[in-house]
Amino acid sequence: MEEKKIVNEQDEKEQFMTFQCCNEIYGISLASVREIIGLQQYTSVPETDDYIMGLVNLRGKIIPVIDVRIRFGQEPLEYNDRTSVIVVQVKDIVIGLIVDGIEGVADIAKKDILPPPSVSSLKMQSRKYVFGIGRVDGAVKLLLDPDKLIHDIEETDLEQMSNTENEVE
Amino acid sequence: MRILIAEDDFASRKFMLKFLSKYGECDVTVDGMEAVDAFLMAMDADMPYDLVCLDIMMPTLDGYQALKAIRDIEKDRGIPEEECSKIIMTTALNEGANVNKAFDLGCVAYAGKPIDQVKFESVLRKLDLIS
Amino acid sequence: MGDDMITEGMLDMFIFETEQGLENLENICLDSKDNGEFDDDHVNEIFRIMHTIKGASAVMMYQNITTLSHKLEDVFYYIRENQPENIPHAELLDYIFEVSDFISGELEKIKNGMESDGNADDLIEQLDAYLGKIQGNPAGAHAGDKGTQAAPVSVPAEKPHFYIAPVASERSMFYLIDITYSKNTDMANIKAYIAVNALKGIAEDILFTPADIISNPESANVVLEFGFKIALQTTAAADEIMELVNSSASIEQVEINECTSEEFIDFCTDAEAPISSAGEILMEPIEQPTVLIDEQKPETIVLTEEEKDTFAQKAKSEKDTGRKKAPKSPGKRTAVKKGETQSFISVNIKKMDLLMDLIGELVIAQAVVLQNPDLQVPGLDLTNFQKSASQLSKITSELQDAIMAMRMMPLKNTFQKMNRIVYDTSKKLGKDIELEVVGEDTEVDKNIIEHISDPLMHLIRNSVDHGIESNEKRMELGKTEKGKIILEAKNESGQVWISVSDNGKGLKREEILAKAKSNGLLGNRSEKDFTDKEVYNFITLPGFSTKKQVTEYSGRGVGMDVVVKNIQEVGGILDIESEEGKGSIMTMKIPLTLAIIDGMIFSVSGTNFVAATNSVTEFIRIDEQQVIVEPDGEEYVMIRENCYPLIRLNRFYHLEHGKDKMEDGIVIILSHEDRKIAIFVDELIGEQEIVVKPMPNYIKKVRGISGCTQLGDGSISLILDIAGLVTE
Repeated sequence: MEEKKIVNEQDEKEQFMTFQCCNEIYGISLASVREIIGLQQYTSVPETDDYIMGLVNLRGKIIPVIDVRIRFGQEPLEYNDRTSVIVVQVKDIVIGLIVDGIEGVADIAKKDILPPPSVSSLKMQSRKYVFGIGRVDGAVKLLLDPDKLIHDIEETDLEQMSNTENEVE
Repeated sequence: MRILIAEDDFASRKFMLKFLSKYGECDVTVDGMEAVDAFLMAMDADMPYDLVCLDIMMPTLDGYQALKAIRDIEKDRGIPEEECSKIIMTTALNEGANVNKAFDLGCVAYAGKPIDQVKFESVLRKLDLIS
Repeated sequence: MGDDMITEGMLDMFIFETEQGLENLENICLDSKDNGEFDDDHVNEIFRIMHTIKGASAVMMYQNITTLSHKLEDVFYYIRENQPENIPHAELLDYIFEVSDFISGELEKIKNGMESDGNADDLIEQLDAYLGKIQGNPAGAHAGDKGTQAAPVSVPAEKPHFYIAPVASERSMFYLIDITYSKNTDMANIKAYIAVNALKGIAEDILFTPADIISNPESANVVLEFGFKIALQTTAAADEIMELVNSSASIEQVEINECTSEEFIDFCTDAEAPISSAGEILMEPIEQPTVLIDEQKPETIVLTEEEKDTFAQKAKSEKDTGRKKAPKSPGKRTAVKKGETQSFISVNIKKMDLLMDLIGELVIAQAVVLQNPDLQVPGLDLTNFQKSASQLSKITSELQDAIMAMRMMPLKNTFQKMNRIVYDTSKKLGKDIELEVVGEDTEVDKNIIEHISDPLMHLIRNSVDHGIESNEKRMELGKTEKGKIILEAKNESGQVWISVSDNGKGLKREEILAKAKSNGLLGNRSEKDFTDKEVYNFITLPGFSTKKQVTEYSGRGVGMDVVVKNIQEVGGILDIESEEGKGSIMTMKIPLTLAIIDGMIFSVSGTNFVAATNSVTEFIRIDEQQVIVEPDGEEYVMIRENCYPLIRLNRFYHLEHGKDKMEDGIVIILSHEDRKIAIFVDELIGEQEIVVKPMPNYIKKVRGISGCTQLGDGSISLILDIAGLVTE
């Protein structure tokens, strides 16, 4: 699925799914978004990181869902009817991202994407996952790198795994 | 040696011509029918081809048909087996069934495309076409 | 080369056939190793195999393989024609194995797209010398034959054929390319052709639709309307293609999707029809292992009366599940009669997995329907419904058995590999060891076979290396019988038991205990308290090896713990029995299949858990007095004179709001092997057939949980890993 490439001749634009989270607007490449679902009953899995809310059933496939707010080190918000789950796929991993609400789809030209400022007003952990800041009609969207999001987690995962193994011994 | 190349695709034809020219005089045809005609002409002129390279997917007469026609002509004229032209199929069809069909029809070698020049040459050597 | 191979590439076919030949060859050799000679059939068969490999490799132009197999063929030609006596058999076996290893090694290289560049000259020389030796044997050779035997003249000389493998075509990929031109493009057909032309440089094969773009100017409209579609076989990467194609300003969009060779061929056959939009399925990788499936006669699946009633019983027993249900006997197959011609088809394992998944979903959907709360209305007459329901259940259960049977493969191949390992290892160690194989026709799920091959190999090596004493030692000990390993498989209570037993020195209880003590594993229990089983289980702990020196074959420090881990991965256990001085028996007890099990569902503070029904011994409500708390906080429950370690799942997993008072919840006794534990849960939910799914990769391994499943109501439940919990 990664082979899929969309090239737009007139203008090098990329499409981003934008959503609200922690009073900011984030964008995530539409190419990695599989679908948007409403939040459904999830089964929590013990002993996982706090932002992993649990498992949901996506038409027979069992996928994990994570709360982006908690992932960014923010206080969780009580889920309401605006709460949505963006199902993204990064390589083989399919995962649901719980966000405060969906905004829409934005076309952002490459030239309008700026690197994130090194000393940022973004005090929170989300900075690690932002690869750029996109400007659309004067508004600012923080563009997330889903790959980084996943990889970062895998690394900490490995550490934790080796830690628990030591404990057992 | 005299070589006949039947190949409908221009790029492949050019490649084969360039590759084989160093071993002998090459004639080129663009479909199977032409190849059979050329073969007959050469035979009538008593200058038969030593090597025939046939593509399989060709218009009017495909490689299998051309191969069979050539072998039938040779049989008809009573040419002893050791004097028959050596025929090599050159094609992108690499399924075992295709290869065996071609072997059964009497080709001596089957070269998948893109052609491995080193191996091709070593086959020519084994066939005593080049030294 | 039957018609069923029609889509196999020439190279695949060569590899497949050669591998089969080598496998046969090894089997013949191992069969005959104790006879001290080959019988006539064997000689003929080996000759035939080498002849085939020689021929095939010559066609494929693998000169080294051809020369080597030719040489071995010569040797067997001589043996066949001259029947020499007193052939040094063991030496010949060694040569055959060397030849076989050489060719396998070359095949591996070829498979990985490398040159087959191995040099067999030394081996050929040795074979020549060997041939000379047996020819020089005056008892065998007739004077007149000398000199002519080397070439198998009696074999009619075949016309040589050569197959010139395409350059690197093994790595070529298939793509479907979809080009959209902006609506006002002039001569879109010509522009499309330019794109095709650009691709020709890198294409191994190229097809496009509409196909008549050059001859038919009308096709320009078709291109504008439906887009221009190209199927391309090439070694180039997608971005390279993109660069070549996307050269015109009038191109609005280019989509490049990788596809399988099948889809590529589909494109060729129905290039007329517009290709369906490239969905997910188009992207599956091409090379996947295939499994040969035995086309079973449907009537070989026979349901017993008991199973016909399964559903009825289940419906009734919903409430009184307090007793363990008799394990269902899966694998209802009968052997296909010998002599009957069997037809085989080869199916991509992905398709089998998909079918398996779908049947899993069906089982769940059925549970949703049959246990629907709407049916709970009092006074509803469900007689007809129940009748149809039991019919439905019967069919789904048959369907399940059928797919299971399809996935079953005999252990034969795995066992045969062990034969070779015993042969090699024992030879190098200078031990005289015989391997007896029992029950190699026992069948196990394909997935499980993949998981047990390694641990089995390890167990066998252990037996050869550590278990069985050296010949001298055995003599010293007065053990008269030959060193022997028995590899046995059998079906036993819904499981497959695979055991490796040897008549070697057995495990030394004292030695293991001493080591355990120095590793601080004994705790404060006295040595005498440990049962033999407990002691033997120490050897399965990581880093626990009593062998003082590490050898080439086993005892690298990793070892039994890895074996046990592998076995546990497929839900199995390792059982160790041993008698010092007499030998030991290592038994892997593994489930027949992993996919669908009967599960008992219960909840703890809102989270559902499942335990395999056959591990549930009983459940019981107890009061606080029956709980014994040790000073270190460990808890035990006392039930009818038996004491079980207690795990309160809510505390174990730090779940809030779980029931805390013994009286409010329920205790479930779970057993694994001969160990039992009690777990405390909030309430029982019910029993259901569940489809075991692995935890999503993203979630790291959670202790005590082996997977997850979907319940009848669509919610998700976590499957308890009883083996893990017991050892906690």
